[in-house]
Amino acid sequence: MNQSVRRSNAFIWTWTIFVLVLVYLPIACGALAGLSKSRYFGFPVAAWSTDWWSRAIDSFEVQQIVKTSVAIALIVTVVAVIVAFFGALAFARYDWKGRRLYQKLVLLPIFFPQPVLGLALLLWMNAVGIQPTWQTAIFAHLVWIVPVVTLVIAIQVYGFDPTLEEAAADLGAGRLFVLREITLPILWPGVWSGALFAFLLSWGNFPLSLYTTGADSTVPEWLYAKMVAGYTPMVPAIGTMSTLAAATLLLTGGLILALLRWRAGKVAA
Amino acid sequence: MTAAALAQNPPKPILQLVGVRKTFGDFAAVERIDLDIRDGEFLTIVGPSGSGKTTLLRMLAGMEAPSDGEISLKGIRINDMPPSQRPTCLVFQSLALFPHKTVGENIEFPLKVKGVAPAARKQRALELLRLVRLPETHYGKNVMKCSGGERQRVALARALAYDPEVLFFDEPLSALDYKLRKVMEKELKDLHRESGKTFIYITHSLEEAMVMSDRIGVMQSGRLVQVGTPEEIYTRPSTKFVSEFMGEVNVFDAAHENGVWRIDGVEGPANLALPTAMTSAQKAAVVVRPEFMRFVDAPGGADNCLKGVVFNQYSLGSRIQYQVRVAEKTFLLELSRANARKAEGDEALIGWDARDAIVVEA
Repeated sequence: MNQSVRRSNAFIWTWTIFVLVLVYLPIACGALAGLSKSRYFGFPVAAWSTDWWSRAIDSFEVQQIVKTSVAIALIVTVVAVIVAFFGALAFARYDWKGRRLYQKLVLLPIFFPQPVLGLALLLWMNAVGIQPTWQTAIFAHLVWIVPVVTLVIAIQVYGFDPTLEEAAADLGAGRLFVLREITLPILWPGVWSGALFAFLLSWGNFPLSLYTTGADSTVPEWLYAKMVAGYTPMVPAIGTMSTLAAATLLLTGGLILALLRWRAGKVAA
Repeated sequence: MTAAALAQNPPKPILQLVGVRKTFGDFAAVERIDLDIRDGEFLTIVGPSGSGKTTLLRMLAGMEAPSDGEISLKGIRINDMPPSQRPTCLVFQSLALFPHKTVGENIEFPLKVKGVAPAARKQRALELLRLVRLPETHYGKNVMKCSGGERQRVALARALAYDPEVLFFDEPLSALDYKLRKVMEKELKDLHRESGKTFIYITHSLEEAMVMSDRIGVMQSGRLVQVGTPEEIYTRPSTKFVSEFMGEVNVFDAAHENGVWRIDGVEGPANLALPTAMTSAQKAAVVVRPEFMRFVDAPGGADNCLKGVVFNQYSLGSRIQYQVRVAEKTFLLELSRANARKAEGDEALIGWDARDAIVVEA
């Protein structure tokens, strides 16, 4: 092997390891903090324990906030995917008057600072007399997440050949049949990615939830509250669980996508 | 039916266009086209890009509505009938095969729309695979893994599965390499005969049109300038444009002065000999195919002779093409190797006979 190639290979390895350490060390610290017996984190860990994990799992309070967070994230996912799917078709599939303006307007909320957006939503709710609860947080999440999901699905839609729909219609298919047999199956990977994004962005969202859940609390809010006052290692324990769950979800999503691709690429010969 | 009987009693038109127009804003893509398309014929519309042939086809297929005029299918007006309701089917330039479906699923698509049972669908798909000369083992193959020629055949089989009265083709062969295109042209013609359906094909290649068609329509800036059999189009082009579209030809303007025809910009021949006596017209365009021009030894060796200088020669394989400059004009000659006895720079006397010239509208 050429020496300069070997040197650049070594550099690539060093660099990737450096980046991974940089990104995962804090997460590892969090994980360790949740697994040590003592209330306050020290390194090296003096005594190991899964006590905080089991306490977190058994805590009624934690179960409640997880339920709230999951409920919000699931509803946000379903609504965001439906709204963003058709939004993405308008964004990337059809050419219509005002499309460029729509493309800009729909993406604007992404760049709006979330704490400000959250506060603005709270003020607006107060003004129209809506009591903030976890349901209002769904709306708040949607304001920010729909644009993101629209963008994710639109990327897939840009690669979609509209003549496929024309061809299907020409072969006698009605609009719904075309949507079911042609448009949706081809856009599935984008829809899946969009759904994953929607769920994870909602699950991990703090600034919007802080202002718009009212008396209810989501996992990030609860973690924050505990860190501000009344810290226990349940915080890093739940943080770790949440990370693991998200990783599992992403892996499952990746597997499903790979499966879809494999099925599309299967050769029966 | 004999040719004479056909001429006396032509088959009923399956598609009829009366004054069909399509405008986009101020731009008229298609200008008042009247055309009867006969049941079972292979009609090709040729024209350069931008001549409106694709727009015309999209109107026939129902993907665009005419701005004016009437399109009727078997006597029924179909101007506003959506493509999904029309008994017609278009084979797209991109083929528009469904990438997430297998070859079999693609072919079965129109049958699935109609609600045909899976077993019957499969049987029909296998029949169609045979018809388009694909092995049955391709049934389960991923359509994206098929070669260019195989994809053409799948697209064709899918269109035939719809069992349309009329099949439209939007230059589907343009992406293939030359050799495969030649094979597919002939297969398409065979398939036309075997299926007995009406084929309407559009292309910018007159060569392709010549091989396949019963009739050819030539389009120029939104108008249908000539419709006829390949033979008629080749031997009797009605305009300069049609003759030039046929490939490389010699076209020159001629003027009638003092009872004599002269080529514009060229001294002599004293009196241009034309195939028909034309005394009324003042101006005409004359077309002479390169293969009808030859080198002559002395003036009088052909009905029309011109003196010039050879300034280019190209080998076309069995034939050689010469460019001969006469005054400011360039003439093309195409000769078999046996008659090719001039070199670049030589003076040459070129000539052609009056019967080989075609007079068209200037």
